[in-house]
Amino acid sequence: MKIVKLLSKFTLLVAIAFTFTLKLSAQSAEEGKTLYNANCTACHAINEKVVGPALKDVHKRREEAWLIKWIKNSQALVKSGDPVAVQVYKENNEAMMTSFENLSDNEIKSLLAYIKAESETPAVTATAGVAVPAPTAGATASAASTDWDSAINWLLFIIAIVLTLIIATVSKILGRIGDIQGKPVVNWNKTNSILLLAFLIIGLGATAWEFWAHSKHTVFSSGSASEHGAEYDSMFMVTLIITGIVFVITQVLLFWYGYKYKSDGKRKALYYPDNHKIELLWTVIPAIVLTILVVRGLLTWDEMMDNKNEKARNIEIYAYQFGWNARYAGADNKLGSHNFREVGKVNALGVDTNDVNAHDDVITNELHLEVNQPVDFAFRAKDVIHSAYLPHFRVQMNVVPGLPTRFAFKPTVTTAEMRTKMNKPEFDYVLLCNKICGGAHYRMKMKVVVHTKEDYKKWMKTQKVLVNKKTANASAVALN
Amino acid sequence: MSDHNLTHNHEEHEHHEDNFFSKYVFSMDHKMIARQFLITGIIMGTIGMIMSLIFRLQLAYPDMKFPFLEGVLGHWAKDGKLDPNFYLALITIHGTIMVFYVLTAGLSGTFSNLLIPLQIGARDMASPFMNMLSYWFFFASSVVLLSSLFVDGGPASAGWTVYPPLSALPSAIPGSGTGMTLWLAAMILFIASALLGGINYIATVLNMRTKGMKMTRLPLTIWAFFVTAILGLLSFPVLLGGSLLLVFDRSFGTSFYLSEIVAEFAGGIERTGGSPILFQHLFWFLGHPEVYIILLPALGITSEVIATNSRKPIFGYRAMIGSILAIGILSFIVWGHHMFITGMNPFLGSVFMLGTLIIAVPSAVKTFNYLATLWKGNLHLTPAMMFAIGLVSFFISGGLTGIYLGNAALDINLHDTYFVVAHFHLVMGSAAIFGMLSGIYHWYPKLFGRMMNETAGHVHFWLTIVSAYCVFFPMHFMGLAGVPRRYYANTAYDQFNVFVDMNQFITIAAILGGAAQLIFLANFFISIYKGKRAPQNPWNSTTLEWTAPVEHLHGNWPGEIPHVYRWAYDYSKPGAEEDFIPQNIPDAGQIDPMEEAVGLPEPSKKSVQEPVMA
Repeated sequence: MKIVKLLSKFTLLVAIAFTFTLKLSAQSAEEGKTLYNANCTACHAINEKVVGPALKDVHKRREEAWLIKWIKNSQALVKSGDPVAVQVYKENNEAMMTSFENLSDNEIKSLLAYIKAESETPAVTATAGVAVPAPTAGATASAASTDWDSAINWLLFIIAIVLTLIIATVSKILGRIGDIQGKPVVNWNKTNSILLLAFLIIGLGATAWEFWAHSKHTVFSSGSASEHGAEYDSMFMVTLIITGIVFVITQVLLFWYGYKYKSDGKRKALYYPDNHKIELLWTVIPAIVLTILVVRGLLTWDEMMDNKNEKARNIEIYAYQFGWNARYAGADNKLGSHNFREVGKVNALGVDTNDVNAHDDVITNELHLEVNQPVDFAFRAKDVIHSAYLPHFRVQMNVVPGLPTRFAFKPTVTTAEMRTKMNKPEFDYVLLCNKICGGAHYRMKMKVVVHTKEDYKKWMKTQKVLVNKKTANASAVALN
Repeated sequence: MSDHNLTHNHEEHEHHEDNFFSKYVFSMDHKMIARQFLITGIIMGTIGMIMSLIFRLQLAYPDMKFPFLEGVLGHWAKDGKLDPNFYLALITIHGTIMVFYVLTAGLSGTFSNLLIPLQIGARDMASPFMNMLSYWFFFASSVVLLSSLFVDGGPASAGWTVYPPLSALPSAIPGSGTGMTLWLAAMILFIASALLGGINYIATVLNMRTKGMKMTRLPLTIWAFFVTAILGLLSFPVLLGGSLLLVFDRSFGTSFYLSEIVAEFAGGIERTGGSPILFQHLFWFLGHPEVYIILLPALGITSEVIATNSRKPIFGYRAMIGSILAIGILSFIVWGHHMFITGMNPFLGSVFMLGTLIIAVPSAVKTFNYLATLWKGNLHLTPAMMFAIGLVSFFISGGLTGIYLGNAALDINLHDTYFVVAHFHLVMGSAAIFGMLSGIYHWYPKLFGRMMNETAGHVHFWLTIVSAYCVFFPMHFMGLAGVPRRYYANTAYDQFNVFVDMNQFITIAAILGGAAQLIFLANFFISIYKGKRAPQNPWNSTTLEWTAPVEHLHGNWPGEIPHVYRWAYDYSKPGAEEDFIPQNIPDAGQIDPMEEAVGLPEPSKKSVQEPVMA
């Protein structure tokens, strides 16, 4: 009996211990997931090679200690001559992995725990992470249709080549016949003139169809999500109408003349070398039209660029290969000073924690904005030039190392409102990199969320400030 | 002008025997050098086009594997999947080849060399030796650039604009190592070639025109080549300087373009004090005139081809010269429109915007003048003419979108998107390529003494214009949806995935367009040997090159150089029997070639002699 009791006790203990460890590992995997999505998805996926290799079962392939060293600074490991490191570097075409020296050993361990957990789950659910194509029904359907399309496309491709060969042969034969007959078989002058007319009609038709079919995919179809964007859109439309009219008139004249004035072998061309009045006319009219566009453009440009607002919320956008951070100025609306020499040491952004202004700063991996609240972005780059592009807000500014840039604007449409407007429940605003910056350039993005005032406050409360006030005070006291 | 000296030189030339090397390889004859430029340009163009097809495959089918790619590219396409880093290398080298090697050297090099001496009435270039050097520097540059495809890390991958710090730090990306060094070496050689050529063209046009060839009697082709050469001479040295500073930053630890870089690949050195934007200023100080270095020769060729084949004088000859000059001058004060959103002073942006939109005025004048030339013409729709009409169409389509991009405010949301890709591929890419093809079809008889197959030429034209529009026109809409250029795939963005079908359509059209170029290549190379023999003046043209014999001679004309009595555009002149009067035919009563021809523009005076062939 005693043994049984003891055994059951023991079982209980084991069970508790087991649940505890399970919970512990689940927790760290949860933390790992956040870290993974923030730092890894630009270059890696679990099951497929993206820019870097697939991470599935990486815990089986390599020692944990090695992985920690590699993730912190792969280049140092390669330079130290570590054979495995050199091999991995070579295998990936000598593309260098970003160093993550600001990640602690424990953080890397929880990252690895997450990767381990993901490796063990079946492939379908393992495609979590922002950058991997979402495993929604739509995506699967489109993938399927891609395969189906591509078969047709290959067929078209082969047909095109065969046609080309046929055309080449026929034209050769026609040339021979023409030589024998003494006059060309095809009257190219006539054929071309008719083709010019046909091209004009089909071309204009195709252009109209394009507008009908693809306008709905442009950012203009859903309207602008910022205040200056409305002005932008209106100016764009004016330019579109003016250039559209000119486009149609000139193309029609060009191809129509090509059709109408083809040589018939009898008529003589009109000798008409000059007409100063007409020339003056078509110098002055474009000049006037352009002046209108220039003046409007200059006014708008000035307005967009000189958008200083005392109430604007200061946010720093920080870019690195291959990701983004946002730093909020906190309650004092003052961003703490930073020093590029400290980047990656105390914190990832090199923010000076001794600066009082920095204490309430908040660093995030997503950009959250409050609707109708002006923001003033200050941009900073760690390594090379990036460009922060927010197409839905009509905002773009280069992010240049060593050269501070800024852009101020006011978001006017919340994410939720935009989702209803576009009728896309999964829509999210995005900030993406628009200046070539390396292999994972095409995945370098940050999710942007525009909240209502209440939601923004709620979200902000969940964020960690850079320096905890209590500890800061304590250390200040200790210093005193 | 100094006619007699030249005749004398020419006689000396006849005394020495040509061996294979002096005739085909180290030739100093401008016509042979023109052929060398053209054929090298065509080879480079083919390579550039194949590269574009490879990355178009990736863009259209980001999830598919193409095992044949591994055979071609080796470790850059493991399992048939293109490496993202190599994708960047492909777009970089595609851009470099197309902009510099095809549309600068291939276009300007070919036609300036062929036409300047022949159309102004000179025996050769001012310095035939420098001319030869110009080609061989270009050749060496091409070899260096292509060799960079085979080095470790791959060729330069920072985009054809090679912005530092990406290009300045050798291990920033794989292509920034040896590949980038070779890119810079190739570019320095290329600039040497462009400068040697440019000086020569300018000197030749200014000093070696035949008697009676006043500047105001020059064909518009020569005006275009002349202004192009000046643009190149003034702007290429700036890129040379910029590139040298970049070499210093890369190899000698300077920091002209580097500041506050903390990335591990900065090599542990604190690089501070420089400005990455400085390079962009230096680059675009060349880069923008470069657009006109590409475009002006194409427009010059078009002017000539349209006038000849409309059998009409080009409308507004002086306005055309004026607009060439205006475009040339303005092109130097607009470079900043490539940099509106680099954070430069907004006021500076305003100035560049103003200059940019002013440039639209001379461009519009040129377009209207082309239309007026076609009006009531007697159009001979030869392949050259068709390509010239195609150029005007592209010039309109691509030029109009320049009004969006030149507007700093509108540029904010369009910068570096596919809208830009569409814009410059139409206005600079397709238009200039069409100008070049038009020139090839028109002057092929002069280049090779044979005719190209006309039917194949027309088929080539139609397939090319249709595919070019199918490739580039839809890209505008991708740009308006915010799709950035230089993305390896759009799969990471739901809102861009809707363009998957469009991307496939574009790729199919591009492959079709590529196949159409096979027709051209076959036509071009077969006709060199098997084409019909060319007559003296196949297009009944007025300009001097058609008075030279079909067979190529050192010195161009066997006897005295013809004198010029009239402008280049006496087509369908009332009273004349033929519908063209060559430039070397005097008017009745005109003895001195420098005299203004009798009754030139007034159609009422009927004092024209029967044209006699020289």
